[in-house]
Amino acid sequence: MIEAKNLTKRYGNHTAVNQLDLLIQPGEVFALLGQNGAGKTTTINLFLGFTEPSEGVALINGLSVADQPQEIKRYLAYIPETVMLYPNLTGIENLAYFSSLADFAYTPEELGSLLSATGLQTQAFNQRLSAYSKGMRQKVGIAIAVAKKAKALLLDEPTSGLDPKASSEFSEIIQTRAANGTAILMTTHDIFRAKEVASRIGIMKEGVLQSILDADTISANELESLYLKTV
Amino acid sequence: MHLHYIKLIARQEWNAIFRGRNTRILYFSLLAVSLLAMITGWQYVGKFNRQQATAHQQVYDQWMSQPDRHPHRVAHYGYLVFREKSPLSFFDFGLDSYVGNAVFLEAHRQNTINLSEASFSNGMLRFGELSMALVLQLLVPLLIIFIGFPTIAGLKQNGVLKILLCQRASYFDLLVGKTAGLTAAIWILFLPLILISLFVGSFFLSGKIGVDNTLRILIIVSSYAVYFLSIVLLVVGVSAVSRSAKQALMALVFGWILFIIIIPKSAQTLGSRLYEAPNKIAFEQAIEAEMSQQGDSHNPNDPHFAQLKADLLKKYGVDSVQALPLNYGAFVMKESETITSTLFNKHFDRLIGTYRSQNAVSTAFGFADPFLAIRNLSMNLSGTDFDSFTAFQQQTERYRYEKSQRLNEIHLTQIQYRNDSQQKVGADHWQRMPDFTFQPLSIAANLSAAGISLAALVCWVLAGFGALYYISTKRHFQL
Repeated sequence: MIEAKNLTKRYGNHTAVNQLDLLIQPGEVFALLGQNGAGKTTTINLFLGFTEPSEGVALINGLSVADQPQEIKRYLAYIPETVMLYPNLTGIENLAYFSSLADFAYTPEELGSLLSATGLQTQAFNQRLSAYSKGMRQKVGIAIAVAKKAKALLLDEPTSGLDPKASSEFSEIIQTRAANGTAILMTTHDIFRAKEVASRIGIMKEGVLQSILDADTISANELESLYLKTV
Repeated sequence: MHLHYIKLIARQEWNAIFRGRNTRILYFSLLAVSLLAMITGWQYVGKFNRQQATAHQQVYDQWMSQPDRHPHRVAHYGYLVFREKSPLSFFDFGLDSYVGNAVFLEAHRQNTINLSEASFSNGMLRFGELSMALVLQLLVPLLIIFIGFPTIAGLKQNGVLKILLCQRASYFDLLVGKTAGLTAAIWILFLPLILISLFVGSFFLSGKIGVDNTLRILIIVSSYAVYFLSIVLLVVGVSAVSRSAKQALMALVFGWILFIIIIPKSAQTLGSRLYEAPNKIAFEQAIEAEMSQQGDSHNPNDPHFAQLKADLLKKYGVDSVQALPLNYGAFVMKESETITSTLFNKHFDRLIGTYRSQNAVSTAFGFADPFLAIRNLSMNLSGTDFDSFTAFQQQTERYRYEKSQRLNEIHLTQIQYRNDSQQKVGADHWQRMPDFTFQPLSIAANLSAAGISLAALVCWVLAGFGALYYISTKRHFQL
């Protein structure tokens, strides 16, 4: 579903992503760990089509992102580190707007259900987003991704800055999406969260995917020491 | 391009604009300034035209109440002609405040048009007066900048752009949708205001709204619609290529200064340098120099007039001017008037040609500056442009020449050469003469002069959409 073949991105002499080979199957959560500047966000941008690969190819549902940038949008959803959306619109209005831009027209009840499914309190639905906490905004971001019924979900450090409860709720939602068959690529600094959510974990350094680990067979402590040794 | 997405994005932009508190504050401030400019404009032009009409009536009454007298005295008694402001001049003052409003017409002399507002004002006038056109040309773009600068750059900065672009709409859909929403908001806020104020103001000032004025109003409103669209395109384009909202704002404010101050002043300076116009003294000296070559009626040995005299005597078969069946003195004056007027018109046309060349430079700069294009177009259609003033000058000179020649004709045929100055003719001779009525330029004439400015505005819009398309194809403008 989410696939990279020899994916490389160079900015002048600097190689941000170097010969990345990756395949994330439907129902799988792949966590990409790495320090700032390791190439995680560039990888996400390559899959989103915001930057063109210098070499190789990024594929979503078998389609080349570079060749069919509009078509891949049908299968793709994205949640950034900080979901801002439109502060002057309410949660439900934001969801309605982004869904309509994805060609989905939901009734107010359906929109409410989508927001409820993320754990957002009902009384917040009609509040302007400017009054939301970061965690609440992330939930609207998830609802937007879910509403799109995307087969591939790209998350760029989605739990950064969330309190432990919000972060835990977020992890649950991600796992639910994966259980529904969505392929998920998540970049993060949070080793604990990566271990908790992901089925596989990759450690990236200077644009190179150094290792891929099975989350079920490695303990959090082992992961942490390996991560520290690698980066 | 998908119309469905563009509509959705435009509607969202519209809602965001009208929900913003800053937008409301800015709009109502600007609305207040516009209304102030409109009302003071109405009052000023109405009062001015009433004063001009009163003065004109006084001059006319004095002219008509002249007793029986010598026609040449009547020719030198003269006639004062007043320039009434156009019914749309309250909207755009244009050159009105800087050019004269009254001219004294008399035999042999082409007086300059005097009594401009600038000549009765302190230096503050050079900073411009508050007209509705000034508000629309200068301040509405600022409003568009302040509302629109974060339209894309802000979305980039807070990461919303990436989420938006992950939906089905393309970047071009987004840019066009943003443009449409912002343009629709500006149009709905200002175009009805312009339309209503022009119709009401025009009716208030002239007591009627003819076809000509209706057409002018509709074209003015359409031109401002295109101008606002071109500014919105610029704002959205700059916002789209900027990495942050702050960077977009800085670039747009610099652009505003460039378009409003630097380019117009540079165009004006370049025009004056390329096409140097003589000053008033040099202009009059050139006419006098050529006139002395053509023929001096006061010089008994002047070859032109000596030849004229010889031809006349031969034609009538007499040997002295006293024996002529017409008044030789009037004949000379008539000929002299023709020479003077022809020479003046020749030099005046040349001067006007120089000014037109200077203006052409400024007009051509409309392709580099939409403000210059709308400024020319707005003045033109409001009848406060250079061509309208020139038309007044040319019509007054024609009227002066015809009136002088009719008086010379009376002198020629009804006053005997002998004891010339002791004779009189009846007042009915000049009482029958038509009064001066200024014929404003037709809308077709104004439009043909403003065609380049209109084309410049349309080019700005086409180039704006072209630029948005180009931006949408470049991935680095999406991050």
